[in-house]
Parts: sequence; C-alpha cells; structure tokens
Amino acid sequence: MIEIEGLEKLYGDLPAVQGLSFAVRAGEVLGLVGPNGAGKTTTLRAIAGIIIPSRGRITVAGHDLASDPVAAKAALAFIPDEPHLFEYLTVEEHLRFVARLYGVGDVDAQIPGLLGELELAEKRAALPEELSRGMKQKLAIACGLIHRPRVLLLDEPLTGLDPVGIRRMKATIVSRAAEGVAVMLSSHLLHLVEEICTRVLVLRHGRVVAFGTVADIVGGRPELAGQSLEEIFLALVGE
Amino acid sequence: MIGTFAYLIGRSARNRLARQLRRLRQPRYSVALVLGILYIWFIIVYQRPGSLAPEIREAGWLAPAGAVVVAGLVAWAWIFAAERRVLAFTPAEVTFLFPAPISRRQLIHFKLLRRQLVILVNTLVWTLLLSPRRFDASAWLRAGGLWVLFTTLSLHRLAASYVRGSLSAHGVAAARRRKVSLVAVALALLGAIWVAAEASAILAAGWNGGIGPFLAAIGTALDLPATRLLLAPFLALMGPLTAGSAEGWLRAMGPALAILALHYVWVVRSDAAFEEAAAEASLRRAEALVDRSRKRRSPRAVSREPPPYRLAPDGSPAGAILWKNLVAVVRTGRPRSIGTTLVAGGIILAVLSFRSEGKVAEVVGWLAAMVGGFLFVIGPQWVRSDLRGDLSKLDLLRSYPIPARSLVTAEVASSTLVLSALQLGVLGFAYLAFLGNRAMEPSLVIRSAVLAAAFVFLPAVNLLGLLIHNGAAMLYPAWIAPGSDRPGGVEALGQNMLAMIAYLALLATTLLLPVAVGAAVFLGFGWGIGWWAAVPASAAALGVAAAEARVMIGWIGRVFERSDPASAGTGR
Repeated sequence: MIEIEGLEKLYGDLPAVQGLSFAVRAGEVLGLVGPNGAGKTTTLRAIAGIIIPSRGRITVAGHDLASDPVAAKAALAFIPDEPHLFEYLTVEEHLRFVARLYGVGDVDAQIPGLLGELELAEKRAALPEELSRGMKQKLAIACGLIHRPRVLLLDEPLTGLDPVGIRRMKATIVSRAAEGVAVMLSSHLLHLVEEICTRVLVLRHGRVVAFGTVADIVGGRPELAGQSLEEIFLALVGE
Repeated sequence: MIGTFAYLIGRSARNRLARQLRRLRQPRYSVALVLGILYIWFIIVYQRPGSLAPEIREAGWLAPAGAVVVAGLVAWAWIFAAERRVLAFTPAEVTFLFPAPISRRQLIHFKLLRRQLVILVNTLVWTLLLSPRRFDASAWLRAGGLWVLFTTLSLHRLAASYVRGSLSAHGVAAARRRKVSLVAVALALLGAIWVAAEASAILAAGWNGGIGPFLAAIGTALDLPATRLLLAPFLALMGPLTAGSAEGWLRAMGPALAILALHYVWVVRSDAAFEEAAAEASLRRAEALVDRSRKRRSPRAVSREPPPYRLAPDGSPAGAILWKNLVAVVRTGRPRSIGTTLVAGGIILAVLSFRSEGKVAEVVGWLAAMVGGFLFVIGPQWVRSDLRGDLSKLDLLRSYPIPARSLVTAEVASSTLVLSALQLGVLGFAYLAFLGNRAMEPSLVIRSAVLAAAFVFLPAVNLLGLLIHNGAAMLYPAWIAPGSDRPGGVEALGQNMLAMIAYLALLATTLLLPVAVGAAVFLGFGWGIGWWAAVPASAAALGVAAAEARVMIGWIGRVFERSDPASAGTGR
C-alpha cells in the first residue's frame, strides 16, 4: 500500500533522511522509532505529500505521489502530533469540511458514529478554543478517519490523550488495520509499538538501522534475544 | 536588570539578523533584497522631493495638519487599539520573565526597550524618505524629532491599552485607580466636541463657497483658539519636525521632550500602581495572550454566527476551502451588520438627498467615497481570508487531495468576494447619498455608469491585488506575519508604507494591459452610448485581467507545491 524507494530529504546540506526504502502492506501496522532528529516526522510528512523529497519515489495505494499527488493524497490520512484545527469551525463543521475535501458522500451517516467512537458527541457544536488538548487531538483523528483512508499516517498518536483515550486510540488503530488499512505510526512509546505494530523500522541520523518484526531484528543480533524492545532500541541506536 | 534585558534584546536581534542573512542564500530572497535596496535608493536619491512651495510653507499648514494626523492616531489608539498586540509578551517571555524575581515596572521597561528596536528602524526609514530640504533641518535633527514623535505615540498607545485593558478586566475598581487618565480623556473629548461645534459653522460656510473657500475655512478652523488649545500637545510634538532652523529645533525639542517624559511616567506609574496589586490578573492575561498566540488565532473573538450557507457534501473540494474562509469572515467580522447598516443608511441618505437636508447626505456621501478609495488601496492588505490567513496551516493544506491551482483559486476567491462586496457596498452607499443631487458634477448618468462599471471590473482589480499579496506570502513566507496578525502601530508605519508602495507599483503594472484594452473599448463605444461605454470597457478589461489572474494562479500554485512549510513557521 505504501512503497518507498531511495527516499532522501535534505535541508540545505543537512540530510534529514537518506536511502530509505521499505514497503507497508495493507492490514499492517508499521512502527517508526528512533531518537529525536532521526527523521521520523520527515518521513511521515514526505509520504503525506507535505514536503517534497530531494530524491526517491513514494507510491501510495498504487499512485505515484510526485506524478499523481491528488489521487495519492485522497487515499491517505495524516494525523500530526500537534492538532492543526481551524479556530472558527465547530467540531461537526470540521468533519463536514474534510468530508467535502475528500468527496465523502455519506457524511451525515458517518458523523454520529465517529463522534461517538472518539467521545466528541457532546462537543459537536463546540469551537476549538472550547476543547481541551486531548479533545483537539481526537478531532484531528476523527478528521483523518472520516474518509475511510486506505493508508493512515500517525505522528505520535497518543500525545495529549488520557488513559481511556489511549486505550480507544490503540483499539482504533488495530481495528482499522484489521479492515485492511496500512498504518504507519511514529512513537517514542516503545511499549505501544511493541503492543500494536506488526513490524518496526528503526531510524538513526536519517538512516535505517533495523527493519522487520521484533523477532527478525533479534534474529540478526542474537545477543539481544529475550530483551524488551526498549533494550533492543537502546542497543541499536548506540546508547 | 536593564543590562540583562539589553543582553536578551541585543542577542535576539543579532541572531535574528544572522538568520535573515543566512536566508539570503536563497536566490529569491537575495534578489528581492537587491531590488528593495535599489527601489529605496531610487526613491530617496532620485525622487527626493524639492522644498515645499513657499505659499504652503507660509500658510503655516504643516504643523497643524501634522498635529491633526497625530491627534487622529491618538484617537485611533483609544477607539480601536488591539490590546492583544500592544500588551503581548511572547511565550518565552512569559515562561522566563513572569516567574523571575522581576517587578512589573521592570517588565514594562523591558517592553519599552524592545519597542525601541522597531521605532529606531522606522525613524531611519522616515528620515530617509523625508527630504532634508523639506523641513529645512538636517537629517540628524529630523531623526531626533521623529524619534520623539514615534516614541511618544508608542508610549501613548501602550498607556491607552493599559487603561482599556484594566477597565475591561476590573471595571469600576480600575476606573477609580485610572481617574486621572479618564479625566484627561474626558476633557479631550469635551474639547473635541467644543471645537467641532465652533468649527462646523465656519466649515459649512466654506463648503458652500467651493473648494478654495473650503480650504481657507479649514485654515481658519485650525487657527481658532479652542482648536489650538486642543491641538497644543500635538503641535508641540510636531514642533521639532517643522522647525526651520537648528535654534528653532532646539526650542521645539523642550516641550516635545516634556510630553515624552510625561508619557513615560504615565506608562510606568499606571501599570505599576495597579497591576502590581493585580499581578495574578496580569499573569493570567499574559498567559491568555500566549495561549492565543500559540493557537495563532485571530485577535478578534470567534462568534457563533451560523455559516453563510450549508456546505453540500458533494461538489468541488475547492468549494470547501471557499466555504471555510467565508465562515471565518462571518465569525470574526460583522458582515451582516455592516451590510444592514449600508443598506438602511443608504436608503435614508437617498431620501435626504432629495430634501433640503441634502447637504448632510452629500457630506456623508463624500466620506463614503473616500472610504471606498481607502478600501481600494488598503483592502487587499487588510482582508486576509486567504492563503495568508492559512499560512500557519500550510502543511495541513498540502496534505489535502486538491490540485494546487484549485486551492489557490478558492483561497483567493473568498477574499475577493468579501472585499468586493464591501467596496461595492460602500460605493453604492455613496451613490445613494448623491442620488437626489441634481446640481452635482459628475452627473447622475455618469455616476450610474461608473458604478455599473465598478460592479464589473472592481472584483477583477481586487483579484489581481490579492494575488500579488498571496504570491508574496508564498514566495516570501518568512517576511509575512502568519494568520491575521500584521505588524501594527506607529512603530511599523515605515515598513508598511514601503510594502504598500511596492504593492501599488506591482498592481499598476498588472493593470496596464486591462486598462489599455478597456480604454480602447471605451473610446470605440463612447461615440454611440456615451459614459455607458464604461460597462463594456470594464467587461473587456475584466477579460484581460482574468487571463492575467489565470497565469498568476498557475504560478502561485507551482510555488505552493514547492514551498517548504517550515518556512512559514509550521514545520520541523
């Protein structure tokens, strides 16, 4: 569903990511981990079409992001760690706005379910300034889900959520993957990655340090056998 | 403590300058800088205006006219000043300075010191723009006079904001503590009413005599004892600028510096006396300001007005962008009440224009026409419900499945609609105010034809103007304030004026071809249908302008696709 070939992004002379090649299949949850500045967010933003790669090719749902960006973007949803909301649209209006952008016909039928799933039903008519940080994050997630994306990109998806929200968010990610959505998420919460991700991509200084299931990664480093993902991560990034 | 503040401000300024210099490695910024320097050099060196005509200098108009302008700026500060902008501390300042062992008075000194940076830049700009010969004083003396004027106005704006902010936050309790300020404002208001009452008869008599007697009447009104008393502080501030010699400048600086010192004491005492006791409230206010700044929300409150229309689930995705921007206008502006006022007021004035009270309608009509002209020039910079308003959300826009060209069109269309509606509403208002005036030149037929032509061509002019502003925002995002924030106050007058002149020059260039085609059509049709030829001429000009707009939209779309959201301060 997502195919990356030789992705490279330079900021001036500084490489944020280089030589990145991997694929995410439908129904898979790929965890993107790495220390600060490893290139996780840059990778997600490049796949979302927000930043233009310096080199490489990105394909989303069979559409080349460079030559057919509109079709590629129509298939994906990007949920950033910091929710960017329009301060003058209510919760429901945000959903209607995004639905129109992505050509969702049955928006009236979808809204109640989504608001209920993300515990926003009572805030339907609220403006963003009346929402807490967690609720704003939930609204951003609802906006990302309303068009039933085939590819879901989440940057630190649990930031700002309460324990109940975290549990629901994890369930949402797993259920979307079970429906065949390709999910890619970045997180520093290694227990989350270990719990819900089918494969892990470890980045350091913009390069791939390890890629595969936890078993695959340990398979290449027998000395890490029996360790938690946290200990494996620390060993891989050289801490 | 001042040394610490100076270190913070100095280091910040130095690092900011270094960052701006690094940005010049990008060819578009370096080319723009070179063009800007050439442009400033041209208008300063080559276009330096000569001395004023002796009759104007001898008429003694400069000082009173300048004083009236300064008085207008002061009145503006009291009526419309946005406390948010004036009182705002940055998030970092609140984080580090508010919990630090610093008194309120020291915080104010920090703020005053920080504002001096902008004031000094503007003093330099205005010193260069005003010809040395214009006021017969050297550049240094002129710079001194400008610095005193700008600093005093800046202090006044700050003090006015403290008073307004305290009154809105603490009501009667604040009114008791601010009684000296409030009494002074009340006296100034009474004085203004008194002057208006005295001058109105003189001005009305002059108005009836034509433009020459009217200008003479203005001179007489400005020379009334009451007017001179009311304008005395403003005349004192203008004194160093209009002094004809170094001795005159020295004499004028005394009163001007005294007014500056009074303002300094006013600002320091007014805040420290009250806010020290209400430190918690002040902190909450600052935190609220920071919170708003983080959210990059509009300085105006968001109302719960219903959307202008229901967004249909199907249709062009770009329609959603247009809808979103119009919702923003409805909820942050007052389009409905403005529309109602224009319609109701226009009808009343139209009725009055047929009666003996027609003079009132005529004066209001001229004022409306002036507002229309002002909106023509300033409107595209003022109405920002387009890409400039969404600059902080550039990454979000980039993730939407909309072709860049469609997105740019939808973004700019909303501002074009809003601005055109406002301008045409004001012009229609003026038209109605003159409706019954048979003696007026131009005649009703010409006025009707021009209004009809404006309905056709004005949206195209606005579209081109807004595309220039949006193109600049996309090409130079680091030079544009995100959202609806604009650099404000007298401190930013110089930069804003330079940007405005550059914008007008670009707009004039883009309008050359449409106007030439329109003029040709007007001359072609003019033999048959007279002034009504303005309508087909406008339609022809509209066609050419639309073609130009199409090219510009394509170009801005390409810039949008290639721009880095991090440049707009949104990315990582």
